[in-house]
Amino acid sequence: MYEIISSVKRDYIADLARQEKRADARALDQYREVSVETGLIKSAQGSALVKIGNTQVLAGVKLERVEPFPDTPNSGVLMVNAELRPLASPTFEAGPPDENSIELARVVDRGIRESESIDLDKLGITPGKEVWAVYIDLHVLDYDGNLIDAASLAAIAALWNVKKPQVEGWTLDEFPVLKKPVAVTVVKIGEKLMVDPSLDEENVMDARLTISTLEDGSICAMQKGGVWCLTVEEIKAAYGLARAKAAELREHLK
Amino acid sequence: MLHAQNRELVVPGQLIAEGGYSIHEGVFREGSSIYSSVVGLVDVRGHDISVIPLRSRYVPRRGDVVIGVVVDTHASGWILDLNSPYDGNLFVSNLLQRKVDLSREDISQYLGVGDVVVVEIMDVDERMRVLLEASGPGMGRITSGKLVEITPAKIPRVIGKKGSMLATLQNTSGCKLRVGRNGRIMVWGEDTHMVNAVVEALLMIEREAHLSGLTDRVHQFLEKMKSGGE
Amino acid sequence: MEKPEKLIVDGKRLDGRGPEELRPLKIQAGALKRADGSAYVELGANKVLAAVYGPRELHPRHMQQPDTAVLRCRYNMAPFSVEERKRPGPDRRSVEISKVIREALEPVVFTKLYPRSGIDVFVEVLQADAGTRTAGITAAAVALADAGVPMRDLVSAVAVGKVDDTIVLDLTKEEDQFGTTDMPVAMLPRKRVITLLQMDGSFIEEEFERALALAMKGCEQIYEAQKQALKARYSIKPEEG
Repeated sequence: MYEIISSVKRDYIADLARQEKRADARALDQYREVSVETGLIKSAQGSALVKIGNTQVLAGVKLERVEPFPDTPNSGVLMVNAELRPLASPTFEAGPPDENSIELARVVDRGIRESESIDLDKLGITPGKEVWAVYIDLHVLDYDGNLIDAASLAAIAALWNVKKPQVEGWTLDEFPVLKKPVAVTVVKIGEKLMVDPSLDEENVMDARLTISTLEDGSICAMQKGGVWCLTVEEIKAAYGLARAKAAELREHLK
Repeated sequence: MLHAQNRELVVPGQLIAEGGYSIHEGVFREGSSIYSSVVGLVDVRGHDISVIPLRSRYVPRRGDVVIGVVVDTHASGWILDLNSPYDGNLFVSNLLQRKVDLSREDISQYLGVGDVVVVEIMDVDERMRVLLEASGPGMGRITSGKLVEITPAKIPRVIGKKGSMLATLQNTSGCKLRVGRNGRIMVWGEDTHMVNAVVEALLMIEREAHLSGLTDRVHQFLEKMKSGGE
Repeated sequence: MEKPEKLIVDGKRLDGRGPEELRPLKIQAGALKRADGSAYVELGANKVLAAVYGPRELHPRHMQQPDTAVLRCRYNMAPFSVEERKRPGPDRRSVEISKVIREALEPVVFTKLYPRSGIDVFVEVLQADAGTRTAGITAAAVALADAGVPMRDLVSAVAVGKVDDTIVLDLTKEEDQFGTTDMPVAMLPRKRVITLLQMDGSFIEEEFERALALAMKGCEQIYEAQKQALKARYSIKPEEG
């Protein structure tokens, strides 16, 4: 199934963008209302429900003892999985993960892994035999645009929510999460850039760039999407937007 | 005997009345008892009972004017999404209202995927195959404006008694509206601010359709927006 | 989880309930934006979402029925909803539960009004503590009504069982695991007929009858909460101008 975008809707959004306006009256650099609620799933070691406008993503962290990878015999394992559950949108279908859910999981994974937000070296148990696996499961509940930012924020909020996990065999004091990478997605419609695309904006966008940054403003991951291109100037502008907006979003992680 | 009050909010399976009433939309009969089949408002007029649903899906009926979106093309016309479980079929001859020689004319010049079209339901057969035409004034392809979707159950409220709500919406805002029975509404206006205000007003009608005094509130809201209010 | 010595002490269950008491119940109609209808149910530690899409065009086409809508259900547990992470995707248990949920709901839906179409019901368990299929049915019935799908009645569901030789309503995970018997029940409240009945464990006749009566009493309480949730959803005040 696919989303039908009528031509009048496409033209309407593009026209508004040309005038630096948006259908929901936001500024181009303005997020919809963001909320982060943590610890609501007791069966998970950490959890967070993130809402950006109507979009809702629930992240759950589970810790389990697994065999290590042969090349890192005493390091923990990070696994990110995303499910675009069919209850979240008329366009999502049941079944094995499709390219969109795999991309989503991998973008979130890279933001956390590449920033070394989790000190995986502390998560060994018995060298070569047993280590902790950190599973981050992203459950998309309501899809109204900008899943990447919502899922990334949910993942890092859930990791910071783990604290002292109630799980058998846990001997460390605190769960070793160190940093707060935050993803900001900028879309290009016509010649204009805007943050936090609504579903309609996402459906008509020319291109998309997600930039994950850390507290010091450094980039830890990027992902470009969409079928059109971005200029160097646009990429630089997007980075500026991403830093500024990440600082705002990070306020929700306190 | 009535078991629910007029305008009462009821849920599926709730007993509304017993006895010889005529039943309409949103209710069903078992024996002499009449129950609601939807979440909605009880409407009793003399011996007629219905429940006006608060949400519904659009089911095409002959004669309805609807707003469709082209989702596919075929050799002699187009398939339109009607915001319904059922697509509609618009043959090129029913769009142009003339005979078309398909070997001579390239019909892709008239409509393409994604185009918005105002059409009338010409026929619905027992297999729910829907035939469309664009014969009336203002029907056919739309090239500008804002498309809004609300639940089709609320469309009668957008029109209002004898068109009163629609008149209020258009006269107060200075915008022009085209209302499809299938829950889709086109809004046109010079002023983006007022177009957005009308969209807000339509969503307000969708939310508050079951409350009284709505036409006045819509009027006040649009007046306020016109004088530059938020 | 370790087996507690006793699950019922001085007539009280480990969470302090009497044998015939439901866990705290919260139902919200209309929890999701995109779905045509939705509901969120919390029953004790269970957190369950249901979403309804449709009636909508049914794909693949060969599934279409010329004279009726096809009701489809899918029950899914989030990987983090249980103690040990559940591998994502359908397994034999969720396929079976999806089927019994569909069969519990189908009798109330006026499917003949929408020939050739499909109605999809998605039940998503976010946190599980026994009784997720019944909480799912309770949520799905509210979601169907919220979607405006014409129905003969709502469907209310709850599990009963036997724990320490006592018949109890609405088992927790502990009671389900270490008790003797678990019996999920769904009922159409108006006619008081049963649309889901499963059982594993052991009951003698007298116990079964008492358990079923208790389940139906529990369903009545759930029905009241379902009605309240649907009415609360639409009992809104006009926005201040």
